[in-house]
Amino acid sequence: MPLPTSRFWSLTLKEIRQILKNRQIIFLLLFPPTVQLLIFGLALNPAVDHLSLGIVDYGNSPSSREFVAALVANDVFEVQSFQPSVGALGQQVRRGQVSTGLVIPPDFGDRLAAGKSVDVQVLIDGVDANTAGIAGGYMQQIINSYGQNLARGSGMRPEVPVEVSAQFLYNPGLLSSWFFVPGVIGVVLTLTGSLVSSTTVIREKDTGTLEQLLMTPAQGWEILGAKIAPLFVVLMGDVLLASAIARLVFGLPFRGNYFLFLALSGVYVFVCISIGILLATISRTQQQVVLTSFFFNVPLIQLSGAIAPIESMPAFFRTLSFFDPLRHYVTIARSLILKGVGIGALLPEVFTLVAFAVLLLGISVNRFRAQLN
Amino acid sequence: MVLSQPPAAIAAQTSAIAVRSLRKRYGAVEALKGIDFAVQPGEIFGLIGPDGAGKTTTFQILAGVMESTSGEVNVLGTAPRNARLDLGYVTQKFSLYADLSIEENMRYSAGLRQVEGAEFESRARSLLQRVDLDRFRDRLAGQLSGGMKQKLALCCALVARPQVLLLDEPTTGVDPVSRREFWDLLAAVAAEGVTVVAATPYLDEAERCHRIALIYAGEIQQIGTVQELRDNLGLRRMEVRAESLDEAERALSQVQGTESPLFKGAATAGDPSDSIASEAIPPAPPGKGGGLNRGTERPLSKGAATAGDASAIVDIQTFGDRLDVMVTDAERGDQQIRAVLAQHDIALKDLRQDEPTLENVFVNQLRQQGLDPAYLEFPAYRSGKEKGGRAIDTHRLQKTFGSFQAVKGVDITVRYGEIYGLLGANGAGKTTTIKMLCGLLPASGGEIELAGQTSDLNRSEVRSRIGYMSQKFTLYDDLTILQNLEFYCGVYGVPKKLRREKIDWVLETCGLAGRENLTTGSLPGGWKQRVSFGASVMHEPDILFLDEPTSGVDPLARRQFWRLIRDFARRGTAILVTTHYLEEAENCNTMAFMVAGVIVAQGSPSGIKTSQPGQLIELVSGQTQAASDFLKERLEPWRVAIFGDRLHLVLDHPERELDEIHRWLAEADIEVQSARPIPFSLEDAFIGIVQRAEGA
Repeated sequence: MPLPTSRFWSLTLKEIRQILKNRQIIFLLLFPPTVQLLIFGLALNPAVDHLSLGIVDYGNSPSSREFVAALVANDVFEVQSFQPSVGALGQQVRRGQVSTGLVIPPDFGDRLAAGKSVDVQVLIDGVDANTAGIAGGYMQQIINSYGQNLARGSGMRPEVPVEVSAQFLYNPGLLSSWFFVPGVIGVVLTLTGSLVSSTTVIREKDTGTLEQLLMTPAQGWEILGAKIAPLFVVLMGDVLLASAIARLVFGLPFRGNYFLFLALSGVYVFVCISIGILLATISRTQQQVVLTSFFFNVPLIQLSGAIAPIESMPAFFRTLSFFDPLRHYVTIARSLILKGVGIGALLPEVFTLVAFAVLLLGISVNRFRAQLN
Repeated sequence: MVLSQPPAAIAAQTSAIAVRSLRKRYGAVEALKGIDFAVQPGEIFGLIGPDGAGKTTTFQILAGVMESTSGEVNVLGTAPRNARLDLGYVTQKFSLYADLSIEENMRYSAGLRQVEGAEFESRARSLLQRVDLDRFRDRLAGQLSGGMKQKLALCCALVARPQVLLLDEPTTGVDPVSRREFWDLLAAVAAEGVTVVAATPYLDEAERCHRIALIYAGEIQQIGTVQELRDNLGLRRMEVRAESLDEAERALSQVQGTESPLFKGAATAGDPSDSIASEAIPPAPPGKGGGLNRGTERPLSKGAATAGDASAIVDIQTFGDRLDVMVTDAERGDQQIRAVLAQHDIALKDLRQDEPTLENVFVNQLRQQGLDPAYLEFPAYRSGKEKGGRAIDTHRLQKTFGSFQAVKGVDITVRYGEIYGLLGANGAGKTTTIKMLCGLLPASGGEIELAGQTSDLNRSEVRSRIGYMSQKFTLYDDLTILQNLEFYCGVYGVPKKLRREKIDWVLETCGLAGRENLTTGSLPGGWKQRVSFGASVMHEPDILFLDEPTSGVDPLARRQFWRLIRDFARRGTAILVTTHYLEEAENCNTMAFMVAGVIVAQGSPSGIKTSQPGQLIELVSGQTQAASDFLKERLEPWRVAIFGDRLHLVLDHPERELDEIHRWLAEADIEVQSARPIPFSLEDAFIGIVQRAEGA
């Protein structure tokens, strides 16, 4: 009797040879992950600056000009134009020529000199709600600190007696790329892993070799195992590639144990391959599998917190996100890369990922033989 | 070597297609080595050659989808690319949209060429009616059988009123009834002035071409009408039907001469490729490894030479239930055959002389080129099952897809050592039946016993004793031939020390020794089939399923295939096979004819033939197509079928009816050269059984 290992080895050898001959797969493994990481890391920046500001200065006094200078001092706002009237300013905001407007009343200088408080009017284009919120917040902050400075200068007690001094942990520079890159590593693994693995399975169906394969004595798990093994190796290559970019291009700290990071990434790679294989077993053609993977991958990414924070989601989606394996991997990646925690802090996430891998792969193996019906 | 110059009247017109010193090179391989031919408007021009001769390359260049390396190609007075709107191109691959209905596919093809409105309606209806698809206009193309798809592909190409139709083996894998409908339609459009260039592995179809080019290894060897090619062969054909064909072939081959007139002629023509052949005097050079091409029983050329000088017998070809013996002279051949058979105590059932068929010409030519594939005995190491035990047994086997019942209660018993043929039109349920037997599809009802197992047919141990070759190519195109074979050896657990020997056997049998590192995808279809077959038997299965193993394979390789299949059966393998070459089906011990999911006839080949109603009459006429069209209107359609350039009629009372038919044909101005009773072939039986069952 031949050993089953010989069968498994033959299957694996065939898969390796096919991967090596397939330039498309090698391209898919190298190019998109690099580009995605660079684009997300460099371009995706939620910080807001250079907001265009329109001003109506009815006061037209030294103090009002000083106030404007204080507003634009840190480049958050940039004066776009001075307008003669509130009406003209409103027009500009409506047309989108400026995103914020500031109206300084005629008695601005007089009231300040008299030590009284002054109301200034701020118009903000609220179409881009996120930017509007941030602009409003900045404006408030700048005005507050301007007021405090004035109060100190005049020897009066500041109106706001408490100053908040926040200290940012783990990401002292508050670099947004530090937040995004670990998440994007997860996104890249999800996209590449599920696409590459579904392609190798569906190709057998497309060319009709699957039928022949199912007629050989090979068992479903042997066929799938032989497909997974080489894919796992090349996708771990992707993990190395991604972490190299994270370290070298974005200077991420990798505070945790790097081998622990690799091991847990390996678990997640398994999950991604299982997703791809499951999609391939339920689809009939290559086209179908690409379209279904879009259907699954986009929500998977959106719910994971890799790009948009989970805390800002409605309660229902926050709960739903627990069923998203990517969410757990993103948590693991951020904790290991930025915080440097040990495995003890990550046990719930690790168990969830293992459960996902077992479940998805189990379904695939079970469905594999019945898929020709 | 152009044998026939077109008549002056035709030559004066401009050719529809003109090809001059056309060459095509793929890297180091020269696929076309400078070919010349011209096709006249309204002509059906056949391009016939073995697998890998360069036919597909020629078609791709004519269709303007590939550039030539050098040479001139003129289609409708311009470059192929510019003539595309007037070209129709049908290949083996289905070029239809599976998600569109027949009607929508037709409308789409017509719309591309701006055939719309009333013109589309009338044209589509008449085309679909001619190939019997009009009834299914709303059916999705993806749900059609292979034969229906190819007929639809032809209709789609024709609805756009092309002036030139290029057909690259479109009838491969299509059943005999559909193939005849396909060619009837071709003949009709050619009569309307459409120029047709067609390749086909079915040489009886090729006889319906006006002119034929025989192409081997990138060169055209002969061009001419079927009659000219036959005359050029310079031989007569003796049809021998004897008690034991194997023995008869062995006996006759011992007295076979070695020289054919054509062989000499070719050598004097100074064709460079023939200079090698003329040195190799034996018609079939010995294969590698000591095995002779056609069996070890055949003496070496030296031994045959003494008998050969006086012998009239030039070549012996097996055709199912008969031998075609090529002789230099009919009378001497007749005497010699009778004498030899009497000497060996082989009872002669029937001996008649006739003109050679195109297949005779082709096989003879290929053998002279040394293209007869080597026959090497399979290196068998397992002792097979004892013959006679039940390998496959089904009872009331059924399969339903949605509301469609594909298989309706099939009973089949195949024993070890038996070759069982499952025959039927495309879509009759043969492949579905095989897939259920293999465990690829669950049965909807009924019982299956496979290798003694009645349940759990999917178990690995059961599958390791089964060999399966499906209709689709089952090799990995991106791997090399060697890597594919290594893979199948490994996955079937062929012991390591035997692998090299088995792989070598496959490579040598396929004529691919030394080329095992080619990418499988670059092989022509027929060769892939041969490698697939090899891959499916290396583990010496007890039960072998072969779903159209020989489709698209050239005639010599098909004979080799069947010789191997018979060897496996002799060693105790149970073989279930489907084929559309009915002449091959004679090799089966038992066969079943399936129509619409039901077995309508079952028995031995001879049993099936003798159970046919009526008497078969072979009619020879200069206007076979016209006679067929005419008689189909007067007789039931199943009674009339074209075989090559002849017409076969099934008559219940030939003595009465024949006179009437003669009178009808005379009134229609169709001349009849001869009409004689002949025995039923399996193909006649197939056409009759299938069409009667479908009509019922």
